[in-house]
Amino acid sequence: MSKAARSTGETRPDRGLSWALSQSTPFSLAVLGLGAASLATVLLGAPIAITLTGWTPVDTLVAAFKSGAFRGVLLVGLFGGIAAALIGFPSHRRMQTNVSREECLAGGFMGIQAIQLSSFLLWFSGGNVEVFALNYLDFAALAPHMDTFLNAIKNTVFLAFTGQFFGIVLGLILAVLAISKRAVVRAPARIYINIFRGTPLVWQIIFIGVGLPLGLRIQIPTYTAAAIALSLNTAAYAAEVFRAGIQSIERGQLEAARGLGMSYMQAMRYAVVPQAIRRVIPPLLNEFVILIKDTSLVLVLGLTAVQRDLMSWGNFGVANFGNATFLIVTALGYLAVTLPLIRIVNAVEKRLRSGLVGVTA
Amino acid sequence: MTTEGNGHLVRLEGIHKWFGDLHVLRGIDLDIDKGQVVVVIGPSGSGKSTLLRVINLLEEPTEGRVFFQDTDLTDVRVDLNKIRTHIGIVFQGFNLFPHKTAMDNITLALEKVLKLDSDEANDRAMEQLTHVGLDHKADAYPGQLSGGQQQRVAIARALAMRPKLMLFDEVTSALDPELVKEVLDTMKELADQGMTMVVVTHEMGFARQVGNRLLFMVDGSIVEDGVPKEIFANPRDERTKAFLSHVL
Repeated sequence: MSKAARSTGETRPDRGLSWALSQSTPFSLAVLGLGAASLATVLLGAPIAITLTGWTPVDTLVAAFKSGAFRGVLLVGLFGGIAAALIGFPSHRRMQTNVSREECLAGGFMGIQAIQLSSFLLWFSGGNVEVFALNYLDFAALAPHMDTFLNAIKNTVFLAFTGQFFGIVLGLILAVLAISKRAVVRAPARIYINIFRGTPLVWQIIFIGVGLPLGLRIQIPTYTAAAIALSLNTAAYAAEVFRAGIQSIERGQLEAARGLGMSYMQAMRYAVVPQAIRRVIPPLLNEFVILIKDTSLVLVLGLTAVQRDLMSWGNFGVANFGNATFLIVTALGYLAVTLPLIRIVNAVEKRLRSGLVGVTA
Repeated sequence: MTTEGNGHLVRLEGIHKWFGDLHVLRGIDLDIDKGQVVVVIGPSGSGKSTLLRVINLLEEPTEGRVFFQDTDLTDVRVDLNKIRTHIGIVFQGFNLFPHKTAMDNITLALEKVLKLDSDEANDRAMEQLTHVGLDHKADAYPGQLSGGQQQRVAIARALAMRPKLMLFDEVTSALDPELVKEVLDTMKELADQGMTMVVVTHEMGFARQVGNRLLFMVDGSIVEDGVPKEIFANPRDERTKAFLSHVL
């Protein structure tokens, strides 16, 4: 470690970019750069090379995969990666600082990743690209279905939000019943929760959408049945999350509220439940991510064209047009909704774990 | 049921408390009168805290009766929530509501239980925060306060209800040593103003100086009941002697 970087311990040491650079050598930086450049060549250069020729229609895409530009870019990435790995791994132990060692290793690892990706794509582009592209990457064939696709996203999001909203409201009520000291109050809530947690969601959807109209001689619109089933199911899981959250609040909070003359319900409402809700936000958001995916099960009800959710849309497409690109786009649709949500869950969790409980209000 | 407490502020009659197979209180009879500062000491596990929490029925006695101002609290027809507004309690673990500011911790029960309008509640809360020297921390959340400050807010929260009796359950036991004094000073001031108090504590100095009645408990029974200075000077019970020789 250089003398300049040694601090007296009185001030928080600066561990920014300039500090990292002071700990590096030109050699370690070069290895890091070589690995990063090789990987970037494959990850960014290959799609750019394809774009130069064109993604649609399929014969253009096939030509792009076979083009010299595409292969050339991959070869550059491949050899760069080999060089980065061969230099980075043997040399890292000879580095004098932790930072420079890590830079050599990171360069080596990125080199390996560049090798894996580019060799796979080289092998792939030498094979029967046409069948693959026709089935998975025929985006031109999907162009006429984009409006129904957007409608399907809308339906998926609507079903998920409806299920989550009514699920949370009903779930909170169930949770408060489930922690009652009176067995006669607990029992109905437990029975409900156990039935909905103990039977498959698909069974619940079919039973409400098909079974109930048969036996009760009532009309339940398909879409409504789907929303009801998702709400009732979510309520059972949300109830368990709330129950765990409420029971995780220290007993002293309830005692303090009761000691001030509040009734049990007042103590729950003003002291315990508000804290429990903060604590259950991350698990509830997780349940929401699961619910978004579970909405796909409503496809068993046979939805009409305007009612189709993402999964039904993809299933309809692949079945009627014999083109699996529908399934690829379906997955992209789900990821477009779930990935941002997963990021939010992680951010909220981190904030709740680190911060003062009250200040996050 | 109006005269059975015999005019005492608090009367406990034949109190037994079982936790499962554990016999925690073994026949407690106790009268507490207005203006008394009753300090309860004794080895851990002797039932001190349970005794304290029986007084406002946070613990329901398995047997026996509790009177507060001649009202039998063990009578199911009694509105305990109303009685508890007259009995303030402060806990070892502070138990402030972490999602509310110091101010809102105090006004919550004033508004929701005593049904004061928010102006009056705010005035009362500020008055009590000033009293415990924390008016400048009104908008702070419990997590932003030291342990001693949190405990003083908890005392202010209980006092804002204008109780006739204050219960203190080992309120300095969870505090760092340098923070104990500020809380004890607040309690001493309260005692000097004539508040009736029951204080479970390990602070022998406080027991001697501030208390005007001392109870010594062992194994769920009160074995000594008298003036603190006399008990400290001449403990009659062997167990009191042994305990005092350990802690003094």
